[in-house]
Amino acid sequence: MSELLAFSNVVSGYGDARILHDVDLTIGDGERVAVLGRNGVGKTTIVNTFLGVARLSSGEVRLAGERHSPIRHFIAARRGIALVPQGRRIIPTLTVRENLAIGGAPGRNKPWTLDRVFDLFPILRERANTPGTALSGGQQQMLAIGRALMSNPSLLVLDEPSEGLAPVIIDELAVVLRQLADAGTALLLIEQHFGLVHRVAERYYVLSKGTIVEQGHLAGISMESLKKHVAV
Amino acid sequence: MLVQILNGLVYGGLLYIVSVGLVLIFGLRRIVNFAHGSLFMLGAYVGFSVAAMGGFWGALLAAAIVLALVGALLDIAILQPLQREDPIVTVLVTFGLLLILEDFAQFVWGKDFLKSPVPTMFSGSVLIFGESFPVYRLVVIAVAALVALGLSVWLRLSKIGLYVRASSADPLTTAMQGVNTDRVSVIVVALGAALAGISGTISAPLLALSPSMGSYILIESFIVVVVGGLGSFAGAFIAAIVIGQVHNLGLVYVPWAATMIPFLLMVGVLIWRPTGIAGSHV
Ligand SMILES: Nc1ncnc2c1ncn2[C@@H]1O[C@H](COP(=O)(O)OP(=O)(O)O)[C@@H](O)[C@H]1O
Ligand SMILES: [Mg+2]
Repeated sequence: MSELLAFSNVVSGYGDARILHDVDLTIGDGERVAVLGRNGVGKTTIVNTFLGVARLSSGEVRLAGERHSPIRHFIAARRGIALVPQGRRIIPTLTVRENLAIGGAPGRNKPWTLDRVFDLFPILRERANTPGTALSGGQQQMLAIGRALMSNPSLLVLDEPSEGLAPVIIDELAVVLRQLADAGTALLLIEQHFGLVHRVAERYYVLSKGTIVEQGHLAGISMESLKKHVAV
Repeated sequence: MLVQILNGLVYGGLLYIVSVGLVLIFGLRRIVNFAHGSLFMLGAYVGFSVAAMGGFWGALLAAAIVLALVGALLDIAILQPLQREDPIVTVLVTFGLLLILEDFAQFVWGKDFLKSPVPTMFSGSVLIFGESFPVYRLVVIAVAALVALGLSVWLRLSKIGLYVRASSADPLTTAMQGVNTDRVSVIVVALGAALAGISGTISAPLLALSPSMGSYILIESFIVVVVGGLGSFAGAFIAAIVIGQVHNLGLVYVPWAATMIPFLLMVGVLIWRPTGIAGSHV
């Protein structure tokens, strides 16, 4: 299994504030990995580090085996890492279709097309010409996932996708994520929702105060014992 | 009366072309470009110099190309390297650029006022409902209308236009989808500068050319951008048309207060809607 995204001994933060300390994590081809952790422990900072929003002060980030110096925010997507950001960040001045179309940036093979995204999420086809932010929270999450898929990622990173969604919508989300994983897309699921992690991921890391304090496989572990492992 | 409205449209149209460049640059770079009025001034001088040999269209083309290059350089050499600094640094640097460009114009073209002749092919007047109106002023209105139309078609229908709209609303999210927003911004700053240049060239026959001619239009353009709602193209269009009318009617009916009226309008709009006519958030 080849490595898609790897952090080794990563220290990073904002300005003088160090948020992540010696973080090591890897995600291989087609793997489904979760990062669990409470609010404010630095989960989004992991994303911001490979995007280049947070500053990497030591350690190394590798994308698809190559050392990645995260300076320009568009590089990650062009190397096959697509992001569904926390809070979804649907662009309010664009329609649903236009929000998807910015995801079709150049530089990747194109198995995902607008039509295939519409087939996966029929509601987006129905509402293609409405402003993106006129959709419900769940629909906006689907839009954010569809937009990320448009760049044909080998790894899809989702930052708290269940945030603010009703339980039935989270169920739908789990089904969609499993479908994508079955089709070969690797997933990095950053979450606080144990149910979603348990249904989607095969491996997990627990982040606390900016360091990985626990990691393991989910196979054969019940939700209850996962919660216990994580309760640090 | 109709003639007054047309005169208001002439000024509103010029203001729109200058302001829309400010809006474009603000959207991508989140900074107010103080050098924008100087780009307008430079366009007027370049147009003035080229018009003598190249005629009106040659002057327009030359000003657009020269200013687009200046704009691209401005983005690559100044705005991009400073993008991680506090925006105030960049704003101060654009202010410095304003002074440099004024000195440059003074060095090349001198301090004295220059007068650019009305292009011969557009000389003379036409009768509109019995009142005579200069052909050239109609041409200015037409150019402004074409710019407005061309720009909105480009923004709506082209892929780069889509990237421009997306990056203006949320540069980080747009970049994380794989769009090279730095390249988008070179295009946008070049375009904004070219529009300032075009507007300088076409207004040259209506104004006296001087190295400091950019300051007045810069201030009025700021008012347009603020009244329209920072970053809104439609808002800038409406605001420019309104301020063009207000400015012109002010000159005719209350000349002593004319320069104050746009400011008062701005204060009024900001009290009524702090985010401007079309602004939803900032
Ligand atoms: N853009 C930023 N600038 C400065 N500090 C930030 C920024 N984003 C997050 N932080 C700080 O970093 C810490 C971790 O935040 P974050 O990574 O967003 O946590 P999580 O995603 O786990 O809730 C917090 O203390 C937060 O205040
Ligand atoms: Mg977070």
